[in-house]
Amino acid sequence: MSRIKFKSSYQRLFGILLLLGSFVMQVTVAYGQNSVTGVVTNSSGSAIYGVTVLVKNSKVGTFTDENGKFAIDAKKGDALVFSFSGFKTVEVAVGDQNEIAVQMNESSESLDDVVVIGYGVQKRSNLTGSISKVKNKGLDQIPIARVDDALVGQVAGINIQQTNPSAGEAPNIRIRGQGSISFESFPLIVVDGIAVGSDADYLASIDMNDVESVEVLKDAASSAIYGSRGANGIIMITTKKGVEGPTKFSYNSFVGIKRVPKRDNVVPRLDDWLANNANNLESSDRYQYVSLLGEETKWDEVMFDGGMINSHSLAASGGTKNTKFRASLSYLNDEGVLLTDNYEKLNFRLNLDTRVSERVSFGVVLNPSHTEQRRFPIGVHDALRQHAWLPLYITEENIKYVNRFRENGRFADVKVGDYAMERMFDDFDLSAGQPDPNSAGTDLSGTSNQSALAKVLERDYRKYQTKIFTTAYLKVDITDNLFFKQNIGGDMKFTKNENWAGVLSSRNGAGGTSSSRATSDQVHAVSESTLNFNKTIKKVHSVSAVGGFAFESWNRNRSEIEANGFSNDLIQTIPASNVTAAVATKSEEALVSALSRLNYSYDDKYLLSLSARWDGSSKFGPDNKFAFFPAVSLGWNMAREDFMKSFAFVSEFKLRGSYGLSGSNAGIGEYDYIGLIQPVGTALDGSNIGYNPINISNSALGWEKLKETNFGFELGLYKNRFGISFDIYNRTSSDLLLNLPVPSVTGFNSALVNKGVVENNGFELELIARPIQSRRINWTTSALFTRNENTLVDFAGASGLLSSVDDKRPANWIAQEGNPISSFYGYVISGEQIDPSYLAESAWPIGGQSQDIYVKDLNGDGVIDTDDQTILGDPYPDLIWSWNNTITFANFDFTMMWQGSHGAQVRNISSQYINNEFSGRQDYTSDFPDADKVVQRIFTNDDIQDAEYIALRNLNVGYTFGRSMLNKAKISGLRVYIAAQNLVYLMSDGYTGYNPEGVDLNNDAERNPLTYGYQRRTAPIYRTFSLGVNLNF
Amino acid sequence: MKNKNIKTTIGLLAIILIQFGCSKQLDLAPLSEVGDNGYYQNGEQIEEAVIAIYDGMQEIPLREFALTEMRSDNAESKNQEGDWAQFQSYTVEPTNLAVGSYWLANYNVIFRANKVIENLDVVESADDKAQFEGEALFARAMAHFNLVRAYGDVPLIDKVVIQTDEDYFSRVESSEVLAAIDADLASAATLLPASNSFGRATSGAANALLGKVRLTTKDYAGAKAALNEVTAYGLESNYRDVFYNEGNSEVIFAIRYSDDDANESQDFSYEMTALGVRAGLNYITADFTADLDTNELARKDVIYSPTNERECGKYLTQSSDNRLCGNDWIVIRYADVLLMRAEAIMGAADQTADQGAINSYNEVRQRAGMSLISAPDVLTKQALSEERRVELSYENHRFYDLVRFGYAQSVLTQHASNTGVNFSPTDLLLPIPQAEINVSNGKLTQNPGY
Repeated sequence: MSRIKFKSSYQRLFGILLLLGSFVMQVTVAYGQNSVTGVVTNSSGSAIYGVTVLVKNSKVGTFTDENGKFAIDAKKGDALVFSFSGFKTVEVAVGDQNEIAVQMNESSESLDDVVVIGYGVQKRSNLTGSISKVKNKGLDQIPIARVDDALVGQVAGINIQQTNPSAGEAPNIRIRGQGSISFESFPLIVVDGIAVGSDADYLASIDMNDVESVEVLKDAASSAIYGSRGANGIIMITTKKGVEGPTKFSYNSFVGIKRVPKRDNVVPRLDDWLANNANNLESSDRYQYVSLLGEETKWDEVMFDGGMINSHSLAASGGTKNTKFRASLSYLNDEGVLLTDNYEKLNFRLNLDTRVSERVSFGVVLNPSHTEQRRFPIGVHDALRQHAWLPLYITEENIKYVNRFRENGRFADVKVGDYAMERMFDDFDLSAGQPDPNSAGTDLSGTSNQSALAKVLERDYRKYQTKIFTTAYLKVDITDNLFFKQNIGGDMKFTKNENWAGVLSSRNGAGGTSSSRATSDQVHAVSESTLNFNKTIKKVHSVSAVGGFAFESWNRNRSEIEANGFSNDLIQTIPASNVTAAVATKSEEALVSALSRLNYSYDDKYLLSLSARWDGSSKFGPDNKFAFFPAVSLGWNMAREDFMKSFAFVSEFKLRGSYGLSGSNAGIGEYDYIGLIQPVGTALDGSNIGYNPINISNSALGWEKLKETNFGFELGLYKNRFGISFDIYNRTSSDLLLNLPVPSVTGFNSALVNKGVVENNGFELELIARPIQSRRINWTTSALFTRNENTLVDFAGASGLLSSVDDKRPANWIAQEGNPISSFYGYVISGEQIDPSYLAESAWPIGGQSQDIYVKDLNGDGVIDTDDQTILGDPYPDLIWSWNNTITFANFDFTMMWQGSHGAQVRNISSQYINNEFSGRQDYTSDFPDADKVVQRIFTNDDIQDAEYIALRNLNVGYTFGRSMLNKAKISGLRVYIAAQNLVYLMSDGYTGYNPEGVDLNNDAERNPLTYGYQRRTAPIYRTFSLGVNLNF
Repeated sequence: MKNKNIKTTIGLLAIILIQFGCSKQLDLAPLSEVGDNGYYQNGEQIEEAVIAIYDGMQEIPLREFALTEMRSDNAESKNQEGDWAQFQSYTVEPTNLAVGSYWLANYNVIFRANKVIENLDVVESADDKAQFEGEALFARAMAHFNLVRAYGDVPLIDKVVIQTDEDYFSRVESSEVLAAIDADLASAATLLPASNSFGRATSGAANALLGKVRLTTKDYAGAKAALNEVTAYGLESNYRDVFYNEGNSEVIFAIRYSDDDANESQDFSYEMTALGVRAGLNYITADFTADLDTNELARKDVIYSPTNERECGKYLTQSSDNRLCGNDWIVIRYADVLLMRAEAIMGAADQTADQGAINSYNEVRQRAGMSLISAPDVLTKQALSEERRVELSYENHRFYDLVRFGYAQSVLTQHASNTGVNFSPTDLLLPIPQAEINVSNGKLTQNPGY
């Protein structure tokens, strides 16, 4: 009964799609008179649709139909070649029979066999560098908006941290640790062979559904071919290409609900405070007033309003032997979990390849995309710091408590429906039961700020980005072993930030309003010409070589207009009269390169790779414009030696080692080596524009250099059912582009120089096992471990430098040789709290705690002073791991990934706001004896918290419908799934926030590696439940 | 077939050669700045370098009040948060950001001034050359004077130095620094014109500042001589107009700002109110209010903000964006000169009956509507100090006045005890910024007590 019902509803659903199916029919190849027919099935006996069938050494070919059937003109003695993406190619000789049944085996390895290595590809078994490949197997089913977020836990050696997981915001990515002191350590992003830059924006503009694979180039020997941009590792994204065969469509979609898991220990509740009878709270005026007011707002629930995420992606792919295409269109909307944050993405992609003649082919990629992000306009700490008694809005009930006399009648006109603000409720006369006209009553407020609700709703901060990525290539096969390839491409990026803060957005009223428009555009053009040679000599000497030249240029424009002082919200664009600042600048950059690589293997046993790149960049001084980046790597496929034959269970054993020199020019300005003079304004009358130097010139400015040694092995046992891959490395970054602090007597407090040494040492271990491999059940499990240790080896005389980001919360970081680049620095708490009896307001504000705390006299001199400070931790994880499982059972599939990070700390300063640690010295009673033994909590390890976590990142259960059911509807595949993200997310007990991965990266000071690891504004970790469908027809 | 191969090869070589030609494009000139090689070539460009000095000066007053008023008995921060709590509690840390930025702001002005002085030769007009040199010397002296009073012995920078000029990193005896300041100002006084565009240095400004320098070095005769040269100025009849009628004839030198201009506005007016980012700095202490003569009416009206009796009312912004304020910062004005003249005449004594001193004092008192001294009463040092405290309140003079008058130790010890903190003699100097010590290659030493 239920079965019939199911079937009928299924038919109804896909009847609609028959229309689309009929379109497919038009594309299928018409049959001629044929002598051979047959059917192609997969290992489980299902028909395969769209297999290419060719008569070897001829131009005769066809495709299988939806029932796996084919018919082809062939005669006895011909060989038929069956090929299909994802399956091993099969060759069958035509004999006397004219019915051929072919079974093709899926080969997960067949795609893995080839790895993209930068200006080429290489067989995985012959790889000598440290490169990880992630195939897009299910990454597009993770309900997230960005490609980089999907890579979490997929690759050893890469740390992808959800530093601010609000809608559309980029995670922070480090490959093998932080190498640079002053500047970007973000990896280089290469999309379809074009190096788009160290720019997270590009990972937002790609639809995960379009991604074929992602390769991560980790060691310098692998990245050296990208020369001056390779030092921070490379993420190479290869998009899906058209496959020969009838046009096929795929539609992938998911819809999910995002929620912030509740946390008990963060935002104080009114009940907890009311229930606390210590210190005779009940008799206090404030207790009575709060009870009388009778309001409670759960600010975390207001601000973390959750959201939906949905994604739709439609792709068409197909082609003839000579011309193949893939086109896709996708839309994604992520509402984010914060109030008002939102992200929308529209993406189009066309990949087209065509063969013009036997020796000439060309292709194009075109990828325009548009994103619109509405950002949460204030820090999350600021959104949560309001008192629990404060209502959201003025109502009929609470309006009688509003004091209309305070502050010269500031609140005289408050009416029902207005935002409630803490100060409105101050000075209440409890005995009279009404606001005190003489400002003498009971105060409740802890802040003079506007309500957080108004701060969020009355601001509109948006970022729009339009990108066009394109590349075209021409490939000429000069001989069978030699081809020339010309790539021309580039990317254009247009960014616009529109920020509006209205009259009610701050306590400053019209004085606090602002509107700004910041636009920037970048045009990046690339031309690359390479000659490629591949030949196997005498069957054992296999040589592949590439050499070529590249030229790249960038043109950048930026302009910004700021306006303030809007007396109302009616016009939010920028009238000329309100402009307070306007600026427009432009700049250029050029890079000229020569590159070469030689790969040699002897009998696939002994492997050698040599590469070299020369880069010349306009960014550097005349003394160092050009640089040379060589690399060498060796490998030994020991399992192929005769002496290993007796160990038949060893299916693969390869030893490899590499050494390379790579560079970085990220993050520095186009003209920083030149002494620059800039116009500066004054408020003088008459001629009031001056010209002034803005930097110290340094004609010797050059590249950051990375030297890396990498050793590794890969071991496969029992036909690779069990595998181990291990890498150990030493990365030494030197000649760092360092904004070295210099004595201010020079007129500047920093100068850009090449100095300093940072080391990252670590290892990566990947274990994989396929414990169950049967016809019905398959289980693959893998575990990745990454360990990295960051050490500042030489800080060019500035070792011990203390840095801070904020004068209100001036907690310190130290950069000390022998320790990580940045370590938290400060006092160590003794564990003893200040006795509440010494606090003037011991039970106020709600959930409040004293600003100060007792600290240890570390040097035992009886005095608490700066000499009692020490290193309190660092923001770099020691160990990152993940555990992946994929189980297929009949038509069901199940994937689960756990992921964790250990050993990092974070300076979580939000408790200072949320717990109202603003009761300073003035709030001690006069008999407090220990004023010289306490310091503010923000200077102590009280705010240094463990950032470790263990998360069930992804859980996905899918069901694939059987082909026999689908064929009638011309559907070649249908899978539905449910998924959950962060279903479990365990944090350390001592952590009191919503996101242990959170790090503020909003301004230059926070992004500076010397002060990395500050947390207060960042969005919470969220949980997603989603439903998805993958449909192929 | 062979022909075709040759053609292909030529075509490919052409593509490669075109790319080689591109390497010329590595020499790119900046588009939105000027490279420094081609600058400082003529009088106009030197004047632009002079104007850049005044741009640099705009940084100095931004947090100077914290280092001066909030370290005295006049002012405190409302919330005592972070760095701002350290001034009033005499626990200033060498890492305090305001202490570091003040150091940088002053040395940056010195750098800009030296840049002018080193490139003067290209100025053809002798008058222009004298004026530019005088303006640069005045600026260099003013910045050194700020530094030597705040930090004690400091590096004396009389040329453009780079980060390898380690000889210049060391601290120089404050007496030597003050002597150099004296020399710079004395030259500036002769080089500068008597009048200049408002906000640019004049001979009067140089002499007025020189008077203060000499009072600091107890060269009372020299101070008197310099101050007597300051004649082209007079008191505004209305105390409020001193602050709210910008460019008035009482102001001898001011650092100028304009309203609602992201680059040319200041934010100290904003930060001195509860609305500021730091939620109320430079708040008037109970001590100041208690000390105020009950007869003070005219001045009290201006000193206290009409909307908040703890906020200072001298710099209330008129801008539409209350964070972009245009109130000028008055460095030196005629009332200060009058009181300094009395101080110079009194010299090392505790009082004076000199009529010139009393007249100067009375002139300031009269404008304020306060009682005057008439013979046989004498002008005491105490009265002079009290008058300076009120007349020049919240103009960043109090702390250095206390030091100059020799009252700092007793007054600040008492004030600290009243507010429950400790004051020790080493708190008379600020710490040398820790970052500067770290990068000085051992040349820069810390002040005692830090």
